[in-house]
Amino acid sequence: MTSRRQLLKSAVLGGGATVVAATAMGSLGAEAAFGAAAPQVEPGTPDPDFAEGRIRSIKDNTLLVLGSNLVFRSIRVVDGTSLWKLGPVGFDQAKPGDGLYARGVRMPDGVLAAESVWLNIINIKGHITNITSEKIHLDHHGKEILCHVVPGRSVAIHSDAPASADLSLLRVGQHVQILGAWRPDTNEADIATVFSPH
Amino acid sequence: MQGIVALQPYVIAAFLAWAAVLKLFSRRMRSQAGQTALARLVGPARAIPLLRLVGLAELAVAAALLLPPSSPWEGTAAEALSLGFLAYLGYTAVAAPASSCGCLGAHAQPVNVRGFARAGLLLTMSLAAIPAPPFRPDPPHLLLGLAEAVALLVLSPELDRHWLTPLRQLLVRLRKPLAVPDGREIPPEVSLRLLYRSPAYCTASARLTSDVQDVWEEDGLRFVSYAAGARTAVFAIPLSGGDPSAVRVALVEEPAPA
Repeated sequence: MTSRRQLLKSAVLGGGATVVAATAMGSLGAEAAFGAAAPQVEPGTPDPDFAEGRIRSIKDNTLLVLGSNLVFRSIRVVDGTSLWKLGPVGFDQAKPGDGLYARGVRMPDGVLAAESVWLNIINIKGHITNITSEKIHLDHHGKEILCHVVPGRSVAIHSDAPASADLSLLRVGQHVQILGAWRPDTNEADIATVFSPH
Repeated sequence: MQGIVALQPYVIAAFLAWAAVLKLFSRRMRSQAGQTALARLVGPARAIPLLRLVGLAELAVAAALLLPPSSPWEGTAAEALSLGFLAYLGYTAVAAPASSCGCLGAHAQPVNVRGFARAGLLLTMSLAAIPAPPFRPDPPHLLLGLAEAVALLVLSPELDRHWLTPLRQLLVRLRKPLAVPDGREIPPEVSLRLLYRSPAYCTASARLTSDVQDVWEEDGLRFVSYAAGARTAVFAIPLSGGDPSAVRVALVEEPAPA
């Protein structure tokens, strides 16, 4: 892992021989975005390269996931798969019971080879009913959700300002949007980012 | 005991009169009548006339309770009204759990246990008021009446923004539950947000096929790698400073570890 990091570091800082393109070379131009083919999915049909649901079991590098449509999907996680659980994490953090969204490539045998997996990710809006030690009580359509502040992880973004680890500007009564990780089978979540309109 | 009983009509009457005034004269109440459970029960078009009707009934019962002569019928009327409230709340909890009750002005909170407790307290007080002996004021009974009025107000979620929210804001200001000690590490999310706003990310984002694969810190920089098809995209983000244009990117012909 260290040697790979060294290789990538030397590439981005200059001096790496294996660099295909850097911003100075122009080939990463914005026009590339328009050249890329959009994924072709028929409107109204499920995207075959996407899966969601909750992990029922984990065997080797394959997750067996029960979707909300009650259909099982197998999701294969490889070394290049990115996993998110309140931030980038390793495969060992995936546990049975976790909810997930996964994107990747559907293989001929029906298994989804995942490029990205987001575990327990939630994105909710509501207003703050109370703030206690390291906790924000959120009223989300009349239901209370207890959002935990995780030191070294949680950040707040006020309007267009840069993200900050300081959450002390949040006020009781104000409206917020919270991106975080649900704690399975509870009404609690860990905060990744709090978006505040002001 | 007589004094407690004799006091009840006044507390009930004051509360009912207030609820009636809000229903009859609050413009905000009328504009939000469509969101109450009443609108679900009788249809949005009939919600406002029905709210007014309930307000008039409350006002009539309040007037009867306040004005002499007192008779057992007054307490019975208040009890019937409270029973009606309880039945309505029960219906709301079952049929429209997301709707507000519209009891005491407009607000967005669904019916919860506090609403039931308030209607239950009103019912108990109405039952106590039925014997209706003449009232002679003395301090202990007045205090009890005051306590009952406060209990009714505390059980009203409509009023939370006038006392509960400011109280919690004050406590937060005093206790500072989210204050951060100095010298903490910079969360990775701070670097990622800077990355998303950078020209380097804008030019490369169309190539990225995964979310963050690896994050590490070295020499005051935070390195973040993504899969970009068969290649790897690596970004260098300064840990200090907020200038997005300082972010650098390289696309490396090194396949993502497979």
